[in-house]
Amino acid sequence: MKPLTEMTPEAGSTLKRNRVWFKAFQQRYLYMMSLPFVIWIFIFSYVPVWGWITAFQNYKPKDSLFDQKWVGFQNFIELFQDERFYIVLRNTLAMSTMGLIVGFTIPILFALLLNEMKGQLFKRSVQTISYLPHFVSWVVVAGLVYKMLSTDGGAVNQLLMWLNIIDQPIQFMAKGDLFWGIVTVSDLWKEMGWNSIIFLAAMAGIDPELYEASTVDGAGRFRKMWHITLPGIRTTFMVLFILSIGHLISIGFEKQFLLGNPLVSDYSEVLDLYALKYGIQMGRYSYGTAIGIFNSVVSILLVFIANGIYKRVTKETVI
Amino acid sequence: MKRKMRMALSLMSALAFVFVTACSGSNTDGGKSTATPETTNATNEQPAEPMTIRFATGNNPNWDDMQSDIGKFIKEKTGITIKPEFIIDDGDEMLSLMVATDEYPDLVVPGSATNKMVDAGALLDLRPLIEEHAPNIKKVYGEYYNRLRWSKDDDAIYTLSLTGVDHTYFDSGSGFQLQHQVLEAAGYPEIKTVKDYEAAIKAYLEKNPTTADGQPNIGLSLNGGEWQILISVTNPAFYATGAPDDGEFFINQETYEAIMHYQRPEEREYFRWLNHMNDIGLLDPESFIQKYDQYKAKIASGRVLGLIDQQWDYGQAENALKAEGKFGSTYARFPVTLNETYQDHSFQGTGYLPALGIAITKDAQDPVRLIKFLDYLASDEGQVLLNWGIEGKHYNMVDGKRVIPDELLEQKTNDNNTFVKTTGIGNYNISARYGDGVKDQSGNYYTTTFPEQIQAAYSEEDKKTLKAYGATTYKDLWPSDDSFPERKYGAAWTLPFEATSEANVIKQKADDIMKKRIPEAILAKPEDFDKVYDQFLKDLEDAGVAKMNEEFTKMVKDRVELWSK
Repeated sequence: MKPLTEMTPEAGSTLKRNRVWFKAFQQRYLYMMSLPFVIWIFIFSYVPVWGWITAFQNYKPKDSLFDQKWVGFQNFIELFQDERFYIVLRNTLAMSTMGLIVGFTIPILFALLLNEMKGQLFKRSVQTISYLPHFVSWVVVAGLVYKMLSTDGGAVNQLLMWLNIIDQPIQFMAKGDLFWGIVTVSDLWKEMGWNSIIFLAAMAGIDPELYEASTVDGAGRFRKMWHITLPGIRTTFMVLFILSIGHLISIGFEKQFLLGNPLVSDYSEVLDLYALKYGIQMGRYSYGTAIGIFNSVVSILLVFIANGIYKRVTKETVI
Repeated sequence: MKRKMRMALSLMSALAFVFVTACSGSNTDGGKSTATPETTNATNEQPAEPMTIRFATGNNPNWDDMQSDIGKFIKEKTGITIKPEFIIDDGDEMLSLMVATDEYPDLVVPGSATNKMVDAGALLDLRPLIEEHAPNIKKVYGEYYNRLRWSKDDDAIYTLSLTGVDHTYFDSGSGFQLQHQVLEAAGYPEIKTVKDYEAAIKAYLEKNPTTADGQPNIGLSLNGGEWQILISVTNPAFYATGAPDDGEFFINQETYEAIMHYQRPEEREYFRWLNHMNDIGLLDPESFIQKYDQYKAKIASGRVLGLIDQQWDYGQAENALKAEGKFGSTYARFPVTLNETYQDHSFQGTGYLPALGIAITKDAQDPVRLIKFLDYLASDEGQVLLNWGIEGKHYNMVDGKRVIPDELLEQKTNDNNTFVKTTGIGNYNISARYGDGVKDQSGNYYTTTFPEQIQAAYSEEDKKTLKAYGATTYKDLWPSDDSFPERKYGAAWTLPFEATSEANVIKQKADDIMKKRIPEAILAKPEDFDKVYDQFLKDLEDAGVAKMNEEFTKMVKDRVELWSK
């Protein structure tokens, strides 16, 4: 029998390569099964990126992509020179960060408390009721918020007046500095129950033996929550958290568009709305695309940074 | 392991590439196959052959889905079924997206997005089609036919203007509105200046803080939360200070020099008055944050004493009041100005103004048939049908005159929404047409708006109010049409900037600044008003308004030159 060490380096790599092909052949059905999804992702996520070249052109829909006038970085220069851009960037990041913090802490807290409940029926109904608002469209929610905060018989103002906290109705919707808060709170109301579902599921998956063991060791409720439940959902939490950091900059514009009004536009306008208004709505497709590219690049950076930090702290990685 | 993955990936992407190219191949095929029926259709056309056309137009809540009397008649006569796609956003998103995807319906009313669509080559040049197939359309435009021309450099006709030709205004839908009950309670005082207007509201509100059913009355509400801030807040600023509607601009009538109209010192005083109205609590504090629905709901509840709006904007809400029989809460309209030195220029002449128009797109299935369809609607028969309805059903000939039966007239004035929906009158004005005051060969008016008809359509409250002011129509309260010379450029709001030009971007910025600063100035404490307004003007300067004004001045001058040929 020849010892393996005697093999020449070349022969080794051939063998390795053969083994790779052999393995691939063995798993050919698995590959074939995953192929459609890869194609799907390629078509819908990678082919459209081709359109990014319009950001470097002065795109006119009349002509084909190849007959356009090339303008280099002009669209980006214009974008970074517009002071409005920095206002909307600030608004976007502020609202999404607030949403991120509130949108994780409160649902986890809610799930923790719900997890401690004994009665199955009560637990289930609270859960169902709390996630129902998720299915209400933003148009309706915005209408509700407007009505509640109205000075003309709005419930919030009437309550505050009745409690003698204020003596004049407050124009909530006209105050720019309140806008971020209003968006965050209405988002919380709408999504709290929904966001907590996944944490509840993660909590249900924790091995009950851990709880039993800690009971024997004399741990109380809060000890158990702190040392078993929370670490038990850590991976779930981190995956979700890092993914939402990737969405920090692209928070959509539904809420802001529906809840906003001209008076608070300095606080309500977000990046997507800006792209719509100064890009598509004015037929400046190239400019809109430039904003889109900026969005994507920042999103990717954010995800990698978040993942890097997580990796350094816990030695685990999500991506 | 890693290597294996890479191998698999490259294999897959290779496959995917094949798939994609195959896809794009079939795409071009699809394009060809749609082109063929188009040509065959045009050659062996049969007028009654059913055809459904897609039509993108402004939202019409009273659309009847071709089920009204007129809708059925048109369908039978021409074989054409109209499938509208309503543009419900307030910007140009839907039309812009059409341009972006390069897919269009057959017909479109592009409005403010016209320049964008022309730039994209989306609209057909209608001139050859009209010359060949549409004698009626050409006849209706008459001497103004060449005003339809797109620009100095491009003599194509892209849109058929839908505004009535040779239109005479018999009634005024603009001005400042006051509820009839407010006027009656004050004994029909003179309402000429903002001070008169303010006094009338103030006096009534002091005596009647709430309505009969206990809801608080609102002095003055403005529709300032959405795009109508232009209609309800900023346009009245130039009307009240003696300038005509030139969009966001004020045009010097001698030099054609254009400035943004907010830059006029007179208008600062108008906004100062609104600031004062807010200060003394007569202005609805929600004026700038309310949505259009909320605004209409307030009006329909009958508790808004005064409006500054256009009839077409508050009309739906007022119709609800009429349907409930609350005529005292409906509105009379007055040409109110800042003080006696100004005259309301709402009706300063423009000549024929090609504005909002209908266009045939490059994706239309059968442009020839479409232009013939539009030509039919523009014919004498078509126009009478669209305006009056079907003889014997919606109107009768009495002594050679068209007369609307009483019960229909009653429904038309007091329950207009139902009237439009069931008869279809007013829903199909999608072609060239004559304006009010033009008579056909039988000596009857083409439209149903003429002095006698307007007076007949007034409610008892309207008549009572008008009588008190010695007028027969609200229009009588305005300066007569020949008080002012005709504007040689028509009206400047019909002049669009080129879509992607720098001036257009500045305009958008200026609009955004205005939408923020004007409400801020009005809601500020009176002592801060000047500070905010100065800041507003400075913001405009910083946004580059001077450059835009210069560009616009040039456009106005070009228009004058083009139209005086």
